[in-house]
Amino acid sequence: MTQLKKSFPYLVSVLAAFLIVGILLWALKFNPLKAYETILFTSFRTPNGFIQTLLKWIPLTLTALAFTVPLSSGKFNIGAEGQLLVGAIGAAAMGIIGKDLPMPVLLPLVIVAGTLAGAFWGLISAWLLYQFNINEILSTVLLNFISFALVDYVATGPWRDPAAGHPTTIQIGQGGFLPMLVSNPPLHSGIILAIIVAAAVYYFTSKTTAGYELVVTGANPRASKVHGIDIRKMFLFSMVIGAAAAGLAGAIEVAGVHHRLIEGLHSNFATLGMIIGLMARGKNSAVPFVAFFIAILEVGGSAMQRTIMVPVQIVLIAEALILIFILLSDIIKRRQK
Amino acid sequence: MEQDNILTMHQVCKSFDKVVALDEVNFELKPKEILGLLGGNGAGKTTLMNILYGLYKADSGSIVLKDQAVTILSPRDALNHGIGMVHQHFLQINNYTVLENIILGSKVSQPLTSNYTAEAAKIKQLCERFGLDINLSDRVETLPMGTRQKVEILKALYRGVHILILDEPTTNLIPQEVDSLFETLKIMVKEGLSIVFITHKLREVLSICDRITVLREGKNVISLTRKDASDEMLVRAMVGDNMDLDKSIMFTDRDKSGSAITKKETLRLEGVSKVNQQKIQELTDISLTINAGEILGVAGVAGNGQRELAEVVMGIQPVSAGKLIFNERDITSLSTKERIAQGFVYIPEDRLADGFLNKASVAHNLILGYHNLEPYSRKGIINWKNVNESSRKMITEYNIKTTGPGEIGGNLSGGNIQRVMIARAFSQPSTLMVAHNPTRGLDIPSMDFVYQKLLQHAAIGASALLLSEDLDELLLICDRIAVMYRGKVVGILPKEKFEKYEIGRLMSGYELESK
Ligand SMILES: Nc1ncnc2c1ncn2[C@@H]1O[C@H](COP(=O)(O)OP(=O)(O)OP(=O)(O)O)[C@@H](O)[C@H]1O
Ligand SMILES: [Mg+2]
Repeated sequence: MTQLKKSFPYLVSVLAAFLIVGILLWALKFNPLKAYETILFTSFRTPNGFIQTLLKWIPLTLTALAFTVPLSSGKFNIGAEGQLLVGAIGAAAMGIIGKDLPMPVLLPLVIVAGTLAGAFWGLISAWLLYQFNINEILSTVLLNFISFALVDYVATGPWRDPAAGHPTTIQIGQGGFLPMLVSNPPLHSGIILAIIVAAAVYYFTSKTTAGYELVVTGANPRASKVHGIDIRKMFLFSMVIGAAAAGLAGAIEVAGVHHRLIEGLHSNFATLGMIIGLMARGKNSAVPFVAFFIAILEVGGSAMQRTIMVPVQIVLIAEALILIFILLSDIIKRRQK
Repeated sequence: MEQDNILTMHQVCKSFDKVVALDEVNFELKPKEILGLLGGNGAGKTTLMNILYGLYKADSGSIVLKDQAVTILSPRDALNHGIGMVHQHFLQINNYTVLENIILGSKVSQPLTSNYTAEAAKIKQLCERFGLDINLSDRVETLPMGTRQKVEILKALYRGVHILILDEPTTNLIPQEVDSLFETLKIMVKEGLSIVFITHKLREVLSICDRITVLREGKNVISLTRKDASDEMLVRAMVGDNMDLDKSIMFTDRDKSGSAITKKETLRLEGVSKVNQQKIQELTDISLTINAGEILGVAGVAGNGQRELAEVVMGIQPVSAGKLIFNERDITSLSTKERIAQGFVYIPEDRLADGFLNKASVAHNLILGYHNLEPYSRKGIINWKNVNESSRKMITEYNIKTTGPGEIGGNLSGGNIQRVMIARAFSQPSTLMVAHNPTRGLDIPSMDFVYQKLLQHAAIGASALLLSEDLDELLLICDRIAVMYRGKVVGILPKEKFEKYEIGRLMSGYELESK
C-alpha cells in the first residue's frame, strides 16, 4: 500500500473532526474559520508560538511513550500521570537537597533521580503483575491517586514555599536547571533528552533482539513463551521502561520549566499521552509525530481561548473526535475487505 | 443447468493488493448435495466462501440464489439469505455454555431475562432432528473439538440456514468424530440442506461428497461428480504439474530403508508425571527413550496428554515428578530457551495460539525462537538484511504463498501459516524435533514435503518425537510408535508390529480397562 493510501484515513478523520467542531462553534455563534486558523497556525506564526509547541511536545511525547512501550508487550500503563508526578518529586527532592552542588553534578543527578523515581513507581505495578498476576490497569490507576497525595505532602511539607499561594516547594538549586537552548522566548534543553529517548525507543524496538522479544510478546504472548521468551520478564521490563519515560517527563518539567515542584504541574499530559498513543495505534515510531500534531492543537487551543474567547475544551473535543474517527476507520477498513 | 442450482457464483474476482486470490471463479451448488471444494493451500477456497458469507467483498462477479441475484455485504445478510458458515478457526466464548454460545447475537423471546427455555426447546428439537448429541448446559471449554464443531453447526441450523459452508471441519477431529460428523451431514442433506465441504483429505471427499469442485491458484480447474473422480485425478487437478508423484513418499510403497538409527540414546524420560493447577493428573509415570536418528511416533485420541507431553519435553510446563535426560545430561530444570539452545525444536499443534504471530510480519514469524542466533542477530542487534534474505529463501523453499517477508502473518491462508511453522522448524540444525500434528491443514504435496524433511532430518542422525492423530502418517514414517491413553503410555510398538487395528485397540484404552 502506498504511503498516501495509508495516511488517507487519518486525513479524513482530522477533516471530519474539524467539520463537526466547526458546526459546534457556528452553533455557539463563533466564527469557525477564525477558530480553525487560530488552532492550526498559532504554532507557526510567531517564534513564541513555535517554542510553546515544542515545550508541549516534550512531555506529550514522553507520556505517550510511557503508554506505548508497555503496550508493545501487550500491557496497559494507565499510570503515566502518577509516574510523572513521582518523577517530578524525585527531581525536586534531589534539586533541593543538593542545591549547592555545581551544575555538572546536580543537573544529571536531578534528571536521573526523576527518571528512577518514575521507574520505581512503575516497578511497583510491574512487580505486582510479575509476582501475583495483579492486573496492571488497576494497580497503575490506583497508584495515580497515591501520587497526588504524595505531591500534596511534599509541596505542603517542610520544603513548602511560604511565599506561594498554591502548594509549591522552594526552588531547586540553580545547578539543577536545564540550560536554555534559546533564551528569548525560552526553550530549555529538555527537548534534546526527549528526542534522544524517542530515537532510542525506536532503535530498541525495531533493531535489537530484546526489542524484538518485546514486540512478539505483544503480538502473541503464548507463542512467544512456547518459543523460549520469558514473557513475564518482558512485561516487567516494558512497564518499567515506560514509567521511566514518564518519570523523565516529570524531571524535565521541574528542571526545565518550573524549577520547583508545583501541585498540578502534570496538567493533562498523561491523558493526552494516551490519546496520542492510541492515535499512533501503539506504534512507538509514530508517537513523536502525532505528539507534535497534538501539541499544535493544544497551543492553538489556548490561543483561541485568549483571542476569540472560545473555551479551550473545544480542542479536547476535536482531539477526542479525531481519535474516534481513526478507530472507526479501522472498522470500515475491515468491512471493505 | 443453471435452473437446478440453489446457488450460483459468476465470474468472481478478488485481489488483496497485488495478490490475485480469485480470478473469474464460477461456483455452483445444487439442492440437497454435499459439494467438496478442493484445492492446494492458498488456492482461494476460504476467500471464495468468505465472499459468499459476506466477510469479504468481491471486486467483481455476482451471486445468484435460486434465480435471484443478491448482494451480500455482511454475515448478517448471508444468514438472512439462509447461508451459514463454520470457519477453519472458529471463535467461541469459552466460559459460556453451549446454549449461550448458540443464541449469542440472535433475537430471544424474553430479551430482558436470562430465561431461555423457549430457545432451549427449539435447539433440543434441532438436536434430535439432526442426530446431534449435545448437552446444552455444558461449558464449551470442557468439550472435545468434535462437539465444539457441532455446536457451530447447530448455531447455523438454529439460524435457519439451508446452505451450510464447512471450512476444513475435519482437521481437528478424531476418526470417530469425523464419522459422526458425516452422519450428521447425511441427515442434513436428507432434510433439504445443501453443504459446501472444504478439505484436503481425498478419502473424505470420495466417501461423502456428491460433487467435487477443484480450485487451483484462484482459478476453476474442474467440477465433476464423485463417480467420475479418482484419487490420482484429483491430485493432478489440485497441483498441476508441481508434484512428482513417483518421487513422493505417500504414493509409493517404498520402505523407509537405510535408516540411520543408532544405539545412541538422545532423550530419555524417566517416570515423568505432571499434575496441573487444578490437581488433575495429566501425565502419569511416562518412560520413553528416543535414539539418535529415530522418529518416535506418539499415537492417541486427541486430548490424552499428547500436548502436555510435548510441552514437558520442551520445558514449557514443569514436570511434577520424574526426570528428562538429554545426551546423558539431566535437563529437567532447563528453561525452554536453554533447551532451544541445545537443539530442541517444536512445532506446536495449535498454530494460531502457540505457534504464530498473526499481527507480526512473516519475517518476524520465521525467526521466532532463533532471533538470538547468527546470522539473524549479533550481540543483541538484529540484522534485518540477513533476516529478510533468509526469509525470502525459506519462502521459496517451503513454497509459502505470500507477498514477501514484510507481509502481515494474519493475511496468510491456513495452510501457508502451517508452512511458515514448518519452515521455521527446519531452518535450524536440530538434535530433537518435537512435532505435533505438523501436517494439519496442509495440502497433499506439502504433506509429502514435510515427510521428506522429517526423514532427511532422521537420516543425518537427529531425533524426532512425532505426535499425531493421523495414524496413516505415523505408520508411514515412524520407527516406533508409542500409544497414549489418559496420560499414560499404554504400549510401544516396533516397526515390525505396526498394525492399525492393534494401535486402535490401545488408543481406546482397551488394554488398560481389561487389566
Ligand atoms: N485478508 C487477506 N489479506 C491479504 N491476502 C489474503 C487475505 N486473505 C487471503 N489472502 C490471500 O489470498 C490467497 C487465498 O487464500 P485462502 O485463504 O482463500 O486460501 P485457501 O484455499 O483457503 O488455503 P488453505 O487451504 O491454506 O486454507 C492466499 O494467497 C492468501 O495469502
Ligand atoms: Mg483456508
